[in-house]
Amino acid sequence: MIQPQTHLNVADNSGARELVCIRIIGASNRRYAHICDIIVAVIKEIVLNTPLERSEVIIAIIVRTHKELKHDNGMIIRYDDNVAVVIDQEGNPKGTQIFGIVDETQFTMGKDTIANIKTSIRNADMNRKGTIQIGYLNKK
Amino acid sequence: MLKSVGPNFYTPFLSLFDQLVLGNCVLLVNLRRMRLEKCWFCSSTVYPGHGIKFVRNDAKIFRFCRSKCHKNFKMKRNPCKVKWTKAYRRLHGKDMTQDSTFEFERKRNRPERYDRNLAENTLKAIKKIDKIRSDRASDHIKNRLKTGKVQRQKEARKQLELGIHLVKASLALAQDSSLCLPKIKVNVSQAQTEENQPMEE
Repeated sequence: MIQPQTHLNVADNSGARELVCIRIIGASNRRYAHICDIIVAVIKEIVLNTPLERSEVIIAIIVRTHKELKHDNGMIIRYDDNVAVVIDQEGNPKGTQIFGIVDETQFTMGKDTIANIKTSIRNADMNRKGTIQIGYLNKK
Repeated sequence: MLKSVGPNFYTPFLSLFDQLVLGNCVLLVNLRRMRLEKCWFCSSTVYPGHGIKFVRNDAKIFRFCRSKCHKNFKMKRNPCKVKWTKAYRRLHGKDMTQDSTFEFERKRNRPERYDRNLAENTLKAIKKIDKIRSDRASDHIKNRLKTGKVQRQKEARKQLELGIHLVKASLALAQDSSLCLPKIKVNVSQAQTEENQPMEE
C-alpha cells in the first residue's frame, strides 16, 4: 500500500538508498501501489560515488511491501518493509544486483510487469538470503 | 535456455512457472506446489488458501493458520508460553512428544513419480497411522489425568468422613455405620406406570 510520501528502501546497487514515492503509474488517481507496481519516486538518500544524485526523480518498481499481497489462489504474503528497485523508462533496472528477498512468483503472476526485470529475476540465481545477479547484463 | 522438466528435476523453492517443451513450442505451465504447512504459532495445519505468510528480512518465513495466531505473533508472544498452542502442550508434557508414528510425517522435497499402487497404499497407511497416533495420544492424556482422578477420589472420601454429620444424623450413623449416603428405596409397579400416562398428557 504505497502512496505518495511513502519512504521506500532500495533493494539494488543503483546508488539510491531511500526513495520517497511521488506518484503511482497507472490510472490517473490510483491510490495505492503494491508489489509489481511502478512508481515515480524522488531520491532522498544515496550511496556516495554513484551516478544517481539526491533529489533526482526516478522510476522504481516495488518489490516488497509491508501490506500483504493477496494472490488469486488465496495465498497472502507480507514482508517486513517497503522496498523498491530503481528502473529506467524502458524498464531496465539501473543496478546490477538485487539485495534481499524477492519473490519471483510476484513478478510472474500475470500482472503487467516490466518484462526485462521479470525475466532477469526469473533467470537469476536466487539464494534467498543474499543477492541476485541480473544475468542479462552479464555482470557478476 | 530451455529447461527439460522431469518429475525429479523440480527446484524446491519458488519456481512458479515451469517450462514444458511440447514439440517446437514452449509452454509456461502454472504448477502450483501445494503443501500442508504448519502454523508457526499454534502448529495446526495450514491448508492452501488459508492463512497469512510473513517473510522476514532475514528470509525466515512464518506461516499462520488464522488471524488469531498472526495477531499473537505481532504482539510478540512466545508460543511456548501461550497455553492453547501445541508448542506449550508439548513443552509441558501435556501432549505426546516422542512416538514412532511421528517418523512417518516428514517433509519430503522430492516429488514421487505417480504410481497408482503406491498412492493407494499410502492413503491406506495414512488412515491407519493417524488412528494409531491419535489413540496413543489420547492414552497419553488419559494416563496423565489418572493420578488426578485417584487424588480427587481420595479427597472426596476424606471430605465425606469429616462431614458425615451433614449427610446422616449421628443416631442413624450409630445404627448403620456405613460411610455412604442413605439409600432410598422406591417401589415401582407396572400398573402405576400405565395409569399415569393419561395424567402426564
